Amino acid sequence: MTLRPSVLQQVLSLGDLLDVRSFTEVCQSFAELYRVGLKVFDAAGNKLVDVKVGNADFCGYIWQKPDGRAQCIATVGRVKNDAVPEEGKPARFECFSGCRYVVQTVLYEGDALGRVVFGPFVPDDLTQLPASLTAISADFDARLAQGYMQKIRRVPQPTADKIVKHFAEILDVLVFSGHKNLVTARLHIEAVQESYRELQEKNRALEESFGKLKELDRLKSNFLATMSHELRTPLTSVIGYSEMMLEGLGGPLTPEQREYLGIIMEKGESLLQLITSILDITKIEAGRIRLVMSDVDVGQLMKDAVATVMPHARKKGITLVCDPGDLPRVQCDREKMRQCLINLVNNAVKFTPQNGTITVGADPRGDRMALFVQDTGIGISEENQKKIFETFYQVDGSSTREYGGAGLGLAIVKSFVEAHHGEVRVASRPSEGATFTVVLPVRHAAPAPVPGRPAAPSAASLPQ
Amino acid sequence: MVQFNQEHREIALKVVYYGPALSGKTTNLQALFQKIDPKVRGRLMTLDTKDDRTLFFDMMPVFFRTAGGVKVKLKLYTVPGQVMHESTRRIVLQGADGVAFVADGRRSEQAGTLAYWNNMLKNLEANGLDPKVLPMVIQANKKDLPDPRDDDMADLRTTTVKPLVVPAVAIRGEGVVETLHILLTLIYRNLDRAVGLERNWNLSEREFLQQIFSHMDLRGTRLPPPLAIPEAPR
Ligand SMILES: Nc1nc2c(ncn2[C@@H]2O[C@H](COP(=O)(O)OP(=O)(O)OP(=O)(O)O)[C@@H](O)[C@H]2O)c(=O)[nH]1
Ligand SMILES: Nc1ncnc2c1ncn2[C@@H]1O[C@H](COP(=O)(O)OP(=O)(O)OP(=O)(O)O)[C@@H](O)[C@H]1O
Ligand SMILES: [Mg+2]
Ligand SMILES: [Mg+2]
Repeated sequence: MTLRPSVLQQVLSLGDLLDVRSFTEVCQSFAELYRVGLKVFDAAGNKLVDVKVGNADFCGYIWQKPDGRAQCIATVGRVKNDAVPEEGKPARFECFSGCRYVVQTVLYEGDALGRVVFGPFVPDDLTQLPASLTAISADFDARLAQGYMQKIRRVPQPTADKIVKHFAEILDVLVFSGHKNLVTARLHIEAVQESYRELQEKNRALEESFGKLKELDRLKSNFLATMSHELRTPLTSVIGYSEMMLEGLGGPLTPEQREYLGIIMEKGESLLQLITSILDITKIEAGRIRLVMSDVDVGQLMKDAVATVMPHARKKGITLVCDPGDLPRVQCDREKMRQCLINLVNNAVKFTPQNGTITVGADPRGDRMALFVQDTGIGISEENQKKIFETFYQVDGSSTREYGGAGLGLAIVKSFVEAHHGEVRVASRPSEGATFTVVLPVRHAAPAPVPGRPAAPSAASLPQ
Repeated sequence: MVQFNQEHREIALKVVYYGPALSGKTTNLQALFQKIDPKVRGRLMTLDTKDDRTLFFDMMPVFFRTAGGVKVKLKLYTVPGQVMHESTRRIVLQGADGVAFVADGRRSEQAGTLAYWNNMLKNLEANGLDPKVLPMVIQANKKDLPDPRDDDMADLRTTTVKPLVVPAVAIRGEGVVETLHILLTLIYRNLDRAVGLERNWNLSEREFLQQIFSHMDLRGTRLPPPLAIPEAPR
C-alpha cells in the first residue's frame, strides 16, 4: 500500500496560494494609493491581476497606430517573459513611449513563483516625448499625446524601487498565509480520508475473520452432530445387552457380575444423556428444532419429571415436593417441556446438599403459566446468573470440579422455552438456594424462530 | 522523495522530525529557526492548537544555491505526536529523505517511545520507505530532566536498523544542530550513492553541509568532523 500524493508533495502555483479575488482588491487599492498600474503573473506567465491607472488614454492613442500597437505588444512581452534576477533590485523595462516598468520576482520558500510588474509610470527625468514614440506614424499628434501623458504619474526611480519592494513584502505575507490556509484545509481532508481508509481496511479484516469464525463454528456443530449420532448407536447396544444380561437372558450371574453390570448400565445411561444433550444443542444451534404442539396437562408433566429424578434425590437425602393442584392445560411441545423440567430438577438435586428441599410448583397468571423449581442449595452469584444459560458455561469450570455435567442443560432449557415464546428466569442468593422459573404462554402463537442460525445444507442432510 | 529538476538545476529534500507526543519535535524546529540565518530560510509555518500541540505539522524551508549553480531546497517538517493524529503522521512522512526520531530520554517514557518507534517503522513501510536504508538519527531529548535513560535507546536499535543516538536538551538548543548535521550527512551520502551528487551535480559533501551550517549560529555546538560519522549499516 502506498498513500496517494499529499498536498505537501505537490508543486503549488502562485494562483493556488492566493485567493485571487481578494488579492485583486488589495492590488486595486495599492495601485490607487500610488496611482500607478500593477500586474501580477505566475511562473507560467498567466496573468493573475491587471490593474490600470492613468495610462488608458495615452496607450489607447498609441494603440490606434499599427506601428505603435506592434511595439506595445513587444514591450508587454518583454516585461512578462524576459529573465529578471531573483534577488536584489527590481529590473527596469523601458517602453518605446518613454514610460517605464519595474519588475520584481515573487520569491517564496526559495522558489520564483511569478513576477510583479509595476507601471507604466513616467520617469521623473523624462523631459520630452522620445523620438521612438513620435516616429511611429506621420500623423502622430505630439501635443495630444503629451496631454494624455500628463495623466500618468511621474515617479522617481528610487521611489518606484521602494514601492515595488514594499508590494513584494505584502505579497510575501499574503502568499504565506494563503499557503497556510490551503495546506490546513487540504491536510484536514487528507487526514480524514486516510483515517476512513484505515478504518475500512480494519473493518474488512474483521469481517473476514468473523466469516472464518462462523465457518469454524458451523463445522464444529456438524462434527458434534455426526459424532453424537455415531456414538449413540453403539451405546444403546451396550446398554441394551447389559440390561439383557441383568435379566438373566445370558444365563445366571454371580453377585459381583450383577454389580459390575449395574455400574456399566448406570455409566452408559449418563453417557447417553450427555450425548443426547450435545445432539440437542447442535440441533438448536443449527436452527433445526421443530415443536410438536399439543394441549398438555402440565401438572402431570411436573409429576412425571419429579418421578424420574426421585430415586436420585432420595439417594442424596433430599426432599422433593411437588403438589401442583388443578391447572389449565397449556399448549406446548410435551417432550421438550418434560426435558426442560427434568433438566431443572436435575440441577436442583445436583447443587443441593443433603437434607435440602426442592419444591416444584406452578403458578397460573392469566394467559401465562409459570412453572418453578426451587431449591435450598448452594445458589448462584449475581454475576454468574447471567452466564449460566450459555452453552458449556459452568460456575465451577475447573477440571477438579465437584459436580459433573457438560454445562448444556440450561442452554437447552432456554432455547426450548424461547421457541415457545416463553422465558426462563433465575432468582438466587449464594448459599441460600436458587429458584428457576419458566413462564409459558397458555395459548401458543406462531412458532418462534429458534435462536441459532438457519440450517446449513450439509447439516440438514444428517440422519436425525 | 527527493525531487531533482535537471532543467532548473534544483534539488528538493524533505526531512521529518517524528516522535511521541511532547517529546520536543516542535522545540527542535524552533531552535533551528532561531539559529539559522534568515537569508537562507523562510518562515516557520506552524499549524497548532491553542495549547501549542501540533495539529498538522510545523515546517521550515531552507534554501541555498551552490557554487556550481544548483539550487538546493530543504524542507524540515515535524509530525503531530498525539495518538489521534495517526493518519496525519503517515501523510507528513510521505516522501521523506531522512527522519530524526525525537525521543523523550526519560526512563518513564521508555515504553511509549518504543511504541512510537514501531509505529513509525510501520508508517514508513506504508509510504514505501525502507527503514533499513532511509537515513535516520535518534535524538535522546530532555537530558536535563531527572530519571534519564542510560541505555542509549537500546530497545529501538536492532541489527538492521541502528541509527546513531544524539543526546539533547532541545529547549536550550543543545544537540539540535548536531542532530540535523548527522542526518544531513547521511542524507547526502545516500543521495550521492543514488544519483552522484558530486559527479553529476558538482556538489560535494563538504559544500552541502557548509552551505547550511555556515549560516547557523554554532555557539555551544560541537560538530563532528565528517569522517567521524559512520556509514549506516545496510
Ligand atoms: N525540560 C525540557 N523540556 C523540553 C525539552 N524539549 C522540549 N521540552 C518541552 O516539552 C514540551 C513539548 O515540546 P514540543 O516541542 O511542543 O513537543 P512536540 O513533540 O512538538 O509535541 P506534539 O506537537 O504534541 O507532538 C514543551 O513544554 C517544551 O518546552 C528539553 O530538552 N527539556
Ligand atoms: N440449581 C442450581 N443451583 C446452583 N447452581 C446451578 C443450579 N443450576 C445450574 N447451576 C449452575 O449453572 C451451571 C450450568 O448449568 P447447566 O444445567 O447448564 O449445566 P450442568 O448442570 O453443569 O451440566 P449438564 O446440565 O449439561 O449436565 C451449572 O454448572 C451450575 O454451576
Ligand atoms: Mg444441568
Ligand atoms: Mg509539536
